Amino acid sequence: MKKIAVLALLSCIAFGALSAQSIKVLLWDDPLTKIIQSNIPDFEKATGYKVEVEMVAPPQVLPKTAVGVTSTSSDYDVVPMDEGNIPVFASLMSPYDSLPDGKVFKKTPKESVTPAMLDVGIWDGKLIAFPINGNIYVWFTRQDMVDNPKYKAEFKAKYGYDLTVPATFKQLEEEAAYFTSIGIGGFGPFNGGPAGVVAEAVYMWESFGTSFINWVGGKPKVVLDEAKAVMGMEFYKKLMTLSPKGSETWAHNERIAAFCADPKGVFTQFHWPSYIASYENPDKSLVSGKITYSAPPGGPAKRVAIRGAWAVGVPLAAKNKAGAAEFVYWWTSKAISQKVVEGNAIPARTEVLQDPAYAKNMPWLAAIADSMKYAVARPRLKEMPQIQDVVKKYWIMGITGQMPTVDAIRNITKETNDIIAKAAY
Amino acid sequence: MTSSRKPPIKQGVEARADGGAHPSLTRKSGKGREGAPLLFLIPALVVVFAVLLFPIGFSLYVSTFNWPLSEGMGPRVFVGLGNYGALFTDAEFWNSLKLQLGFVFVALPVELLLGFGAALLLNREFFGARVVRTLLLLPVFFLPVLSGITWRFMLQPRYGPLSQVLVSLGIPETSWLGNPGWAYAAVLMQDIWRMWPFMFMLLYAGLTSIPNELLEAAEIDGAGYWKRIRIVITPLLTPTIMTALLLRLIDALRIFSEVFTMTEGGPGSATLLFSLYTNKQAFTYMKVGMASAMAIFLLVLSVVFAATLVRKNMSLDVLERKAGNR
Amino acid sequence: MRRNRPAVNALIACAAFLVLAIELFPIAITVVNGFRRDVVILSGKPFELSQLSLRSYKLVLERPGFQKSLVTSLVVGLGSTTASVLIAAMGAYGISRFRFKGRNILAYSFLIFRMLPQISLVVALYLMYKFLGLRDSAGGLIIAYTSFNVPYVIWLLLPFFTSVDSSYEEAAMVDGCTRFQVFFKVFLPLVAPGLVVGAVFAFINSWNEFLYALILTGINAKTAPVALNSLIGSDILTWGQVCAGGTLMLVPVFIFTVAMQKFLIRGISAGGVKG
Repeated sequence: MKKIAVLALLSCIAFGALSAQSIKVLLWDDPLTKIIQSNIPDFEKATGYKVEVEMVAPPQVLPKTAVGVTSTSSDYDVVPMDEGNIPVFASLMSPYDSLPDGKVFKKTPKESVTPAMLDVGIWDGKLIAFPINGNIYVWFTRQDMVDNPKYKAEFKAKYGYDLTVPATFKQLEEEAAYFTSIGIGGFGPFNGGPAGVVAEAVYMWESFGTSFINWVGGKPKVVLDEAKAVMGMEFYKKLMTLSPKGSETWAHNERIAAFCADPKGVFTQFHWPSYIASYENPDKSLVSGKITYSAPPGGPAKRVAIRGAWAVGVPLAAKNKAGAAEFVYWWTSKAISQKVVEGNAIPARTEVLQDPAYAKNMPWLAAIADSMKYAVARPRLKEMPQIQDVVKKYWIMGITGQMPTVDAIRNITKETNDIIAKAAY
Repeated sequence: MTSSRKPPIKQGVEARADGGAHPSLTRKSGKGREGAPLLFLIPALVVVFAVLLFPIGFSLYVSTFNWPLSEGMGPRVFVGLGNYGALFTDAEFWNSLKLQLGFVFVALPVELLLGFGAALLLNREFFGARVVRTLLLLPVFFLPVLSGITWRFMLQPRYGPLSQVLVSLGIPETSWLGNPGWAYAAVLMQDIWRMWPFMFMLLYAGLTSIPNELLEAAEIDGAGYWKRIRIVITPLLTPTIMTALLLRLIDALRIFSEVFTMTEGGPGSATLLFSLYTNKQAFTYMKVGMASAMAIFLLVLSVVFAATLVRKNMSLDVLERKAGNR
Repeated sequence: MRRNRPAVNALIACAAFLVLAIELFPIAITVVNGFRRDVVILSGKPFELSQLSLRSYKLVLERPGFQKSLVTSLVVGLGSTTASVLIAAMGAYGISRFRFKGRNILAYSFLIFRMLPQISLVVALYLMYKFLGLRDSAGGLIIAYTSFNVPYVIWLLLPFFTSVDSSYEEAAMVDGCTRFQVFFKVFLPLVAPGLVVGAVFAFINSWNEFLYALILTGINAKTAPVALNSLIGSDILTWGQVCAGGTLMLVPVFIFTVAMQKFLIRGISAGGVKG
């Protein structure tokens, strides 16, 4: 046993010495990271580092990071974090300001990212991970349906105004009702994973003028206004009746299928920009080039776009911090951000998003920039995974009529309060 | 097709009046052989206990802590039996246990019946019999995650192939996975579809080793087909059936990825089986202490189960007596 | 052999093929979808077989690390199957042929250990493997898989072992064979069908395992289920590629079983037990 331990120790030391020149990077599998991965040889040539990439499905990033990164040791030099997990890992990451300057690539200025998106990586006032994608609610509408003369005329005759891309909840509801009446899915809800359901719930609540959880005096507090929250849920419940059959279980895959592969599937819905590549891929989509992108329709209280981006950080215990920092600077540089845009993915860097050279061929970029003006984050606290499950459970019951919406909202408030109380802030 | 040699199957219960072990091979062989079972068991003991003993001990230890999966979630705090207390007052926990037990008690018997029936029917030669026997096993080999998403895909209204078949049979288009009852039924269906051929394979292998002499003797005695099944085949197959059930039970208690990709435990908690809830505690809520407490609870439940039900029907002595009872 | 009545046989053959068709329906869908474009897959015409192409296969095989993961899976699967069957056969022999104190308890503790959900063991295994330097290696995975396969195979083999009469072994021992010679030369051939069944399931268990593979490996020893899962769990599900990858993963298990079936039949006749 002792021998094995010594051997293991020795091999660890030897391995440690070897890996000084390599950078271990954990990535989530996604069109954006594929673009990064394919450009890594250039980075290796420029810096002399060897990059070892481990790519896993997005939901697997959390367990891999949770197990592999502690304050004293880290399996990776660079780790990605989904916005919701920033509070969990913040204390294990090197603040961006403390990272050494790069030898080859210049430290990317924080100002290169829109403030609404930079917020993603900030915890306790410090930037602990650098936002790397511009992921925020964008509205997808079938332009070919909007342009259809028959639909146009019928809609105008019925509602008295022109059929356009919905910009308000009233328009959204009436247009969805019209298309449902002629056998086309009016709206595409999201009822999949808990994080996504919370995004829809917060979108409704904020649109009707109430927040879910706020930090008050260093403590999280449920501030949901019952009347407004019920109105938001009721509106979504109405939209559910204007959605295709089976949509009460729709996650991303089913929504993409309905919108892209079924000509009569869905007229209008939100999606994250990271999915645009799929909607515009003729292999997967019958509607590529036929979609208009816009900021989400605004509710009675205000216009809202939910944010949900990834950020990359360097663990405090990373073995090769200099290399890791260099990698982050390279990734967030202008040149790589341009490559990301060219691959139909969305970087966080503002100047690239707003570059007129891309605007013409990539109409969604303007919509993303527009959405960013209305950016709203979901609540951020360590207990969010549990709270999400509570919200999802009662939200779905409320919007599908299994439970009165008032009761659903009350249950959400009560059980969320219980979770926060148990966490003892 | 009769064998020229005497088949090495034990005949007659008289020879085994002691109920199982082989005296001539053990005690009577002298003291020098006392160490022999150990020699045979050492590799299994080493590989199973060396790899699992630490994790199980660790689980037990962790179950008394508030132990976040990530250090960033906060410190580890000793809570004694607090996790167990929290579990027993958690409605979700009892619900998941109920769903899991329901799953076991419905899926397994159905799988057994289908597997037994198929083994009886296919234990003969007809055109394509070998092809059928081989291809029937494909679902068992199917990657569980893939099985889950395929079933999810098949059940989607509008474009799902199974949904279309059902509609063409006159059943109204339904959101199968959106309804708590149907979703649970669908999860059961998926498992039955995937795993009854497993029962079939084991029972078929057991059937082929039943000597024809016994069946022929019963037939000469005037026993009809059903009677032969009841008085000759079933008793001889009992050990195999018990093993098959036990092995399926082990897997059914750990079922995860197929259900997760199919329903994620939903809608609501309608398909949140015990195993899925354990996983959720560990990897979503990042409460390893709670997940470990759930695992230990399952361990205790399994021990009780083994000590009562299994021991009665399947202790080694019974197994051997059954085998000797021919 | 039972007497074959042609009419009954024809009826059973029909029923068997019908059941087979139902069983293979989901798999057929997966296989076919591997050759279709995503937009066709989702179009709601599951049996329209136009525009088939090998593109998804090309794409999935070109994914960085996918081919390597298939090789790793094969190595780990075969390695752990060999080890599991050998070790479990010895263990089951020890349990079924000797009477010693604590025999029942030992047999059950194997079984109960196998009932523990992997989730509750994997964090501890990760820490242990990190300490021993076994992380992210095929060898480490083989050990882990063998540990959960051995109890399974032991219990799978017990009924086969107990149903074999010990008179052959006794005769061989009288002839002067040692216990191990008896085990390997006389006993194992007798229980070959059981060993084959054990091997098939040990292989499937290893081949399809996901959680250990996810947590205990990194870049070097990533297995095919983990690689395929990053296609399935990825934000954008590429149906065609998932189905192509899934079909590719069915091929080795299928070949393995067909090859094993030959052994199975040979094993039965060698044992002199004829069905």
